[in-house]
Amino acid sequence: MNVILAIAKTTLGEAIRRRVLLVILLVGVLFVAIAPALEALSPRQELTVLRSLTLGVIQLTSAVIAVVLTVYLIPNEIERRTIYTILSKPVRRWQFMIGKYLGAVGALGLMMALMTGIMLLVFVVMGKSKDVSDLAMLAKVPIAFFIQMSLLAAVSVFFSTFASPIVNFFLSGGVYLVGTMFDSFFNVLTKETQPLIVKIPATIVHVIIPNFQSFNVQNSVINPTQVIQNETMLYVGLSVYAVTYISILMILGIIVFEYREV
Amino acid sequence: MSLAIETKDLVKSYKSKSGTINVVDKLNLQVEPGEIFGFLGPNGAGKTTTIKILLGVIYQTSGDAYVLGKEAGDIEIHKQISYLPEKPYYYEHMTGFEIMQFYASLFGIHDKDKCKSLLDRVNLGNDMNRPISQYSKGMQQRVGLAQSLLNDPQLLFLDEPTGGLDPIAHIEIRDLILQFRDEGKTVFISSHELSDVERICDRVAIINKGEVVAQGRLEELLVGGRIEITANNCTDATASSLRDDDTLVSMNHGRVIVDIPDSHSPNEVVKTIQGAGGEIVSVIPRRKRLEDLFLEAVTVDNRAKGRTIGTMTGKDDGTEADEVTA
Repeated sequence: MNVILAIAKTTLGEAIRRRVLLVILLVGVLFVAIAPALEALSPRQELTVLRSLTLGVIQLTSAVIAVVLTVYLIPNEIERRTIYTILSKPVRRWQFMIGKYLGAVGALGLMMALMTGIMLLVFVVMGKSKDVSDLAMLAKVPIAFFIQMSLLAAVSVFFSTFASPIVNFFLSGGVYLVGTMFDSFFNVLTKETQPLIVKIPATIVHVIIPNFQSFNVQNSVINPTQVIQNETMLYVGLSVYAVTYISILMILGIIVFEYREV
Repeated sequence: MSLAIETKDLVKSYKSKSGTINVVDKLNLQVEPGEIFGFLGPNGAGKTTTIKILLGVIYQTSGDAYVLGKEAGDIEIHKQISYLPEKPYYYEHMTGFEIMQFYASLFGIHDKDKCKSLLDRVNLGNDMNRPISQYSKGMQQRVGLAQSLLNDPQLLFLDEPTGGLDPIAHIEIRDLILQFRDEGKTVFISSHELSDVERICDRVAIINKGEVVAQGRLEELLVGGRIEITANNCTDATASSLRDDDTLVSMNHGRVIVDIPDSHSPNEVVKTIQGAGGEIVSVIPRRKRLEDLFLEAVTVDNRAKGRTIGTMTGKDDGTEADEVTA
């Protein structure tokens, strides 16, 4: 465990200093900070627009950070030859990979926490929240996003065991888009009424690709008419779903990485 | 006592468009415990590939590789070995001391004093709190050596430990390597710095295209001497006429230096030069150097296998290819 934590800590330390990530984060933070100024675009429902916009910015920025952070995670170590110094120590490949993943998720969490903090500050300063419970409700959404991005990071780490960073960027991005935007499309294709030739492949793809859409819980915050029946169960369910997928992806990645020549 | 390193018919193949290439080809090495062993060869000879197999980061196609009596790659062995890669990179945001702590934690070592004392040993005690990004190449190499001593290893793999260093750093690193031997450690050095290797190694192996072409104790391999004949006012035609299997000829602005084994008489060379209008400057006998052995071994092997002499060699380790000349 010490080995994994040491690798995770170093990965985190390096990730939060990467300029490209800091620039993406800065853009995200700026958008979150200036979001209230954009309420003029929709004067009738300014609060709905503001919440939707800030949460959207946090989600999009986090997704870009998650992919950019993880596509280079293992290739960089190989290119810079640091992997040889590490793997020549009593470090197993699975420990290395899990350490790298946890470090990346830690960095992602810190960056998302910063954006969330800025968002809450903006809402308080601009008087856009009714009370503390309103703020707490708003703050819960990025938690679901964080679970979602941890899953996206696992997808990207899995691809990084065999794909180049550029290919990985498009693969991970593609999986995220399909898993976010095509859920209803897959629901149609996997209906009983569909012919087998459509239904079977659609079912396989639907099962393989994580359902990122289910982590988009912001509707209940943006639109107060939508109510989540049991919030705790929702978050527990999302966590179990994500951890299951992350575990499968990490195991597959470890198997590939174990046999890979670095 | 088992050998520190042993390979038996070790082969590493890669598939390419032109077919299968054996980067390491039936390599047989024996490294005794407690010695400094030089592992030499032109770029693309298979040195780094061999080291990677011995470290277990890549796998052999066939043959056997043993490190400290166990199969290469055995994680238990990794507690007793260490590795300094060529041109090491360290996380630049960390200080020298943090780097040491990081690598120490990979061994489960949490002794800060040990980290400090090792940095002191490589003369980095005063700079240990500076970020690595501010370190010179020589300082980074010394951090590399310090981290390689964290586990008090029985066997050290050093890949180009003095590459690109200034003369003072060279001497410092060389002295440290000699100290390792005095402490009973086995040191396996892959290097192009033949003068360093000649100074500190007990035994060497020279490999070419993945095969051992010479292996043994330096005093046994460097028997015999050479004679160096220097002449002015020579033409390219004269220089070409002097070249043969055992003769090394270099030409620069009419000055030719002919290097022949001491078993040959220099009279014939002198006559040829004078007959072509050249002016003899000096005829100096000298002892055989590792550089001579290296060139001989590689040249003879290339000729025997019908390979082109003086062409660029392939590369297997990401380093620049050099020209092998005879």
